[in-house]
Amino acid sequence: MSPLLQVKNVTKKYGGLTANNAISFDVAQNEILSVIGPNGAGKSTLFKMIASFTPTTSGEVIYQGERISNLKPHIVARKGVVRTFQETTIFKSMTVRESVVVAQHLRAKASLAGYFWRSKTAKEDVTAFEKYADELLEFLGMSEISNEQASNLPQGSLRALGIAIGLATDPKVLLLDEPFAGMNHDETMNMVNLVRSVRDERGVTVMLVEHDMPAVMNISDRIVVLNFGEKIAEGTPSEIQNNEKVIEAYLGSVDDEIGM
Amino acid sequence: MLGFTSKQLIGVGIFLFMIFIGVPMIIGATGRWDFYFTLTSVALLAIASAGVWLTFYIGRINIGQGAFALIGAYVSAILVVKAGWSFWISLPAAGLFAAIVAILIGLPILRLRGVYFAMITLVLTQVVTLTALALPITNGAKGISNIPLPSGVSLFGIPILPDFAGMENTKMAFYYTACIIMILTYAALYRLVNSRLGHLCRSMQQNEELASSIGVNISYIRIVIFAVSSFFGGLGGAMFGSIAQSVYPSSFQVADSVNFMLNCFLGGLGYVFGPMLGTLVLYFGWDLLFEFGKYQMLIYSTILILIIRFLPNGLLSIRIGKGGDK
Amino acid sequence: MEQILANGVYLGSQYAMIALGLTLIFALMNVLNFAHGQMYVIGGFVTYTFYGQWGVPFVLALVMSCVTLAILGALIEKFLFSPVIKGSAREESTMLLAAGIAFFLDAVILLVFGEKQRGVPKIVDGVFNYDFRLIMPYDRILICVLAILSIVAFIGLMQYTKTGRALRALAQDRTAAQLMGVNVDRYSMIGFALGAMLAGLVGGLLVTITGVNLGMGGPTSIKAFMMVMIGGAGVISGAIWGGIILGFMEAIGLAVLYQYGDITYLLIFVSLMIFLAIRPQGLMGKPWG
Repeated sequence: MSPLLQVKNVTKKYGGLTANNAISFDVAQNEILSVIGPNGAGKSTLFKMIASFTPTTSGEVIYQGERISNLKPHIVARKGVVRTFQETTIFKSMTVRESVVVAQHLRAKASLAGYFWRSKTAKEDVTAFEKYADELLEFLGMSEISNEQASNLPQGSLRALGIAIGLATDPKVLLLDEPFAGMNHDETMNMVNLVRSVRDERGVTVMLVEHDMPAVMNISDRIVVLNFGEKIAEGTPSEIQNNEKVIEAYLGSVDDEIGM
Repeated sequence: MLGFTSKQLIGVGIFLFMIFIGVPMIIGATGRWDFYFTLTSVALLAIASAGVWLTFYIGRINIGQGAFALIGAYVSAILVVKAGWSFWISLPAAGLFAAIVAILIGLPILRLRGVYFAMITLVLTQVVTLTALALPITNGAKGISNIPLPSGVSLFGIPILPDFAGMENTKMAFYYTACIIMILTYAALYRLVNSRLGHLCRSMQQNEELASSIGVNISYIRIVIFAVSSFFGGLGGAMFGSIAQSVYPSSFQVADSVNFMLNCFLGGLGYVFGPMLGTLVLYFGWDLLFEFGKYQMLIYSTILILIIRFLPNGLLSIRIGKGGDK
Repeated sequence: MEQILANGVYLGSQYAMIALGLTLIFALMNVLNFAHGQMYVIGGFVTYTFYGQWGVPFVLALVMSCVTLAILGALIEKFLFSPVIKGSAREESTMLLAAGIAFFLDAVILLVFGEKQRGVPKIVDGVFNYDFRLIMPYDRILICVLAILSIVAFIGLMQYTKTGRALRALAQDRTAAQLMGVNVDRYSMIGFALGAMLAGLVGGLLVTITGVNLGMGGPTSIKAFMMVMIGGAGVISGAIWGGIILGFMEAIGLAVLYQYGDITYLLIFVSLMIFLAIRPQGLMGKPWG
């Protein structure tokens, strides 16, 4: 079966600094693939290029046979490759529910003008969105906080909201940027199960950038390891755990992201 | 209209009554005919300020509305004086022209944010003033004066809009016209804010990248909103020129652009009707302070500073809850 | 040709000083001081009052300008900007506060100094005439030299003194500076006062040549913004470059384009807009986005 997404020789240079050097790997449909590596390895930059928030210096990203790198980010999102954020993930002064409703904008049938004049199609859309939002929030276990303002949420809920927003767009590929960051053990386990069910029950292919090793080993089908902008290993969790280069990369650098 | 509470409808009703019946009655009773001019100015400036408010809505600080007002004023004046058009056609044409200019300028600059965008818009006002001084069609420093009053409009011999030149109280006619346009503007604004487009704008205002990642075409929406905003600016400027019956390069300056911003801010950036209230307070306040002669600006700016210092979210934030129902 | 160069240097040095003050304030507080032009005007009027009206020696009058503006700047920062920056979530608030202060200072200038254009007698007579290729009145040369000296002194202050180091740390990273023990509030105030003082100093210098009047505030502020944006907001070297560039553009423009009237400024502004649209961070600013 041909891969859903292909990263082909993607390179990113900022002036004299090479953030990513000729990274290549494939992502199969329905798999959960994690990208790991010590700090500064270039993981987030890679994700930005896959979702086309940053142009590649060279190389391309192919999705379902089409090049998606270097397109406008909203177009890539509409094709089904959606990214959540490491930094500010949310719409601060919207409630949880509002954010999830807005995120479904992509699925709107009425035109913008239709919304302005409150056409019938527009009204149907709005009802459908709200229904879907409630359903999604329930799936994610967030029904209780649906009327909370996003800025009031604790860290764990914020991450979940980020995922909810990403899911609301009905993506085929979801790129999660450090979904377990700042979580304690229980929260992480919840999130791991959540991500897994997103793949299992909704058929979404998931890619993660993460530092939390136990979680990564737990959840991933395959792992890609970056160090200093280069890909140094690729394989199943057990293969990676026993890979010398990987061990050296982690022991050789100060990595204090593990543990909370 | 569907979807409004009865409280809101009553509020709107009272407001409309006040504007169209109450105010003329009060003016007639007190004989302060100059208030017509003041309030008409308030209405027009509120229209322009609504445009600035709209750019705030997508997260941009717009200190250039004076430029679009000036463009609108000149376009309308030129069309009426030199091409003989009817004012009622030159008015929307002026707005449209301003919108087109906005699209052309917006394309390169709307991707900038914060201070950077603000500074470019600030320069824009200067550029338009200087252009007005330099172009032959705008008569340079002499400006365009003796602009005729709006002519009547009739279809098949049935008068729809009266000829202003034939009226005894043109001030009142202008007042009504300005108020109607202002109400239409704010109705449109309200509708936009509460529609899906409004949701998208809010999402862009709060987090452009995230909006992009859920498929919002941020460049497109930015340009559309900026064009609409400048349309309002052009509209306000054109009407102003018609009332003053003259347009000069100095008719709208940087200070005016700043004032539009202040109007929005004072009323409260989170409320649709904020700029209307802000313009009323600031302009009327400024006018009332005229009594103090030299001290006018001093008192005005002091009050302004105090409000910014102690009410950073604007006047409407004093009310409890969202102030969107009027 | 030499004339244009000389004019460029002369204008550039003045502008650079104004830009320096503004960029310092921006670097410290992320606020564009809308009232900068008004501070320049106040500086001019103070020097006029002391030197022109009361016959105080020129240098002393300049010092009075500096002191007045420094105090004014410190007060404004401490009682107005500081609380608003801390209390408001939106960044527009500080910008609007600055605009309000600009209006306020305009009003104060009107009341205290009146609306007439004021000038002072030349401080140095005579004109330097190099073969009619380069004509520059001596007083302009003197002012230019004083301006350059002030700029050098300012840079020295920023590089080599404890105050300067604290200010630079604060400009780079507020939190880090705090952690290093810098009294953020105190130095914000000092920085603002310093920026205001620079504006006032230029005003005092230029009143001897171009005079001063109430209406100069606004346009000067706008020119200052332009310089700061060209050079890169918040960057000291950028401000100097911005000032020099604007000075030269004006000198060249006025010499070459004078027959077309007001086109000079129009062209300058339009080219600046284009430049900023392409490169919003200016010449020396940090890469954007």
